Amino acid sequence: MPEIVTVEDLVEVYSDGTKAVNGISFSVNDGEFFGFLGPNGAGKSTTIKVLTTLLKKTSGKVVIAGNDVDKRAEAIRKVIGVQSQDTVIDQDLTGEENMMLQGHLHGMGGEALKARVKELLSLVGLSDVAGRRAGHYSGGMKKRLDLASALVHSPKLLFLDEPTTGLDPQSRAAIWEYLSKLNKEQGITIFLTTQYMEEADKLCQRLFIIDKGQVVASGTPESLKREVGADSITMTLEDGAAASETKDRAKQALGGIPGVGNIIDSDGGLTVYAKNAGLIIPDIVRTFDSNKIRLTSVSFASPTLDDVFLQHTGRRIRPEELEAKSQTFQRFGAARRPARQ
Amino acid sequence: MSIVSDTYHLFIRALKKLVRNPILLFFSLLQPIIFLVLFTQLFSRFVETGLFPAGVTYLEYATPGILLQNGFSSALQSGTSIVDELNSGMLEKMLVTPVNRSAILLGRLVTDAFRVGVQSSIILILAYILGFNVATGAGGIVLAIIIVAFFGLAWSGISLAIGLRTRSAETVFGIGGVLTFPLLFMSTALVPVKAMPTWMADVSSFNPISFAVNAVRDLSLPSAFSGATIASAFVVIGAIAIVTLGATLYLFRKVVK
Repeated sequence: MPEIVTVEDLVEVYSDGTKAVNGISFSVNDGEFFGFLGPNGAGKSTTIKVLTTLLKKTSGKVVIAGNDVDKRAEAIRKVIGVQSQDTVIDQDLTGEENMMLQGHLHGMGGEALKARVKELLSLVGLSDVAGRRAGHYSGGMKKRLDLASALVHSPKLLFLDEPTTGLDPQSRAAIWEYLSKLNKEQGITIFLTTQYMEEADKLCQRLFIIDKGQVVASGTPESLKREVGADSITMTLEDGAAASETKDRAKQALGGIPGVGNIIDSDGGLTVYAKNAGLIIPDIVRTFDSNKIRLTSVSFASPTLDDVFLQHTGRRIRPEELEAKSQTFQRFGAARRPARQ
Repeated sequence: MSIVSDTYHLFIRALKKLVRNPILLFFSLLQPIIFLVLFTQLFSRFVETGLFPAGVTYLEYATPGILLQNGFSSALQSGTSIVDELNSGMLEKMLVTPVNRSAILLGRLVTDAFRVGVQSSIILILAYILGFNVATGAGGIVLAIIIVAFFGLAWSGISLAIGLRTRSAETVFGIGGVLTFPLLFMSTALVPVKAMPTWMADVSSFNPISFAVNAVRDLSLPSAFSGATIASAFVVIGAIAIVTLGATLYLFRKVVK
């Protein structure tokens, strides 16, 4: 498959000296559903800005659909569609007018544009409200309109920066369905960033995880999860005066247990990886007991992309996502057991 | 030519936005209308002082000033729209399309000029009802509206530049508000030079509003029509436009890059 995006040694240094992107390289194949993940401030949005011609890169090479981003920005703009993180639509215009304007800016017009707008509005389920002002739409409808307006000119490559952030589960599922359809039926290459690991897992064929401006992992969701190699066991310890000292002792104790892999200290507690969590947990509990370390909870799950992310960045994707994460646990049928003391 | 069609589409969009926010439109016209009605009543007997051109009513004298005042203050709000485009992400959304870059600015400026033109026409109609006339006829009316719109365009540049630089609508409104009254009152918009203290008369003679007002007044008052006044107005407005729109273009380029 030919490459539609080629990025080599991309560096972006802001005028204040901040290195937002520090030498990343990757490529996206034509027709691929590509996921670009990273914690906040990792350099995702900066990379997208460079790729979509909004920001001049400091150094490196970026080629989109055969066009160098420095020399042929105009040609790139003709073949890409972009949905930014914040929903951007004109609230004073109707849904249809928003779409028409976007088409006009792409040099389209006449009956062809009208037909295209009609088709897209029906694809995202907004035909009934096409004549109403977009300012009156719900959050989910606005997102859908924004997405549809990025598609007016039939782009070959679609950049989506967190397209479902802030949406309710139902709207999110609807967007996932459109995106799958676009990718599978129309062969549009999709470049997606998201903070929802479930979304990346469900949609993307290949993932790149970046952190602090650099690529830290890449592969298919399956291979990345396989690389984690084991179930994750997450435990929280009793808070108290000597919390950090307790944590250090716990880490030491865990290190002595055979079969325990990587130990990660995150805001969600201590996480370790082990081939067979069910057999290791009693060992952990016994060891902690004899070392007088008090556990407040312990749970385990088969690896998810959250674990991949945690392993490579040392962080959960976002603290406020922890709640959603515990629901994921339940969905995967993992047990949440109280610690034996 | 994509610059023409892009400018056209962005102009149409801006017009739709204007029409769909009638309250905004109404309030921006309210001030000149209040001026027109109250000032011309309040100051109607000022002409008896002999400081005004002979045989001219205060309404006839002040209407050109109120036209310019409206063009001026309405243009100073132009920057808020670019702040809105910047902060909402709409500008970025446009910039990832192949839209002609200059058209984004041009669309804005054409809209501003058009808006000032429409508002001027409304003020002229109201003034006509009150007894105002343009001595040079239809051609004079058109030329007067062109002068006011061109004047508005030049001042839009200041407002756009402030908006691009500060990205704050409050700052645009604040600076606009602070500038309006001193510049208006220290000009020949409402009172002739003869009626001013010397220092103010000096300021007034350099005030660009005076140049524009004098030109419109030349067209409307029956006595003295002089091409030189019109020409000097265009030169002064043109010079301002070059500076303000140049600054706007420079700052816009920085944003676009």
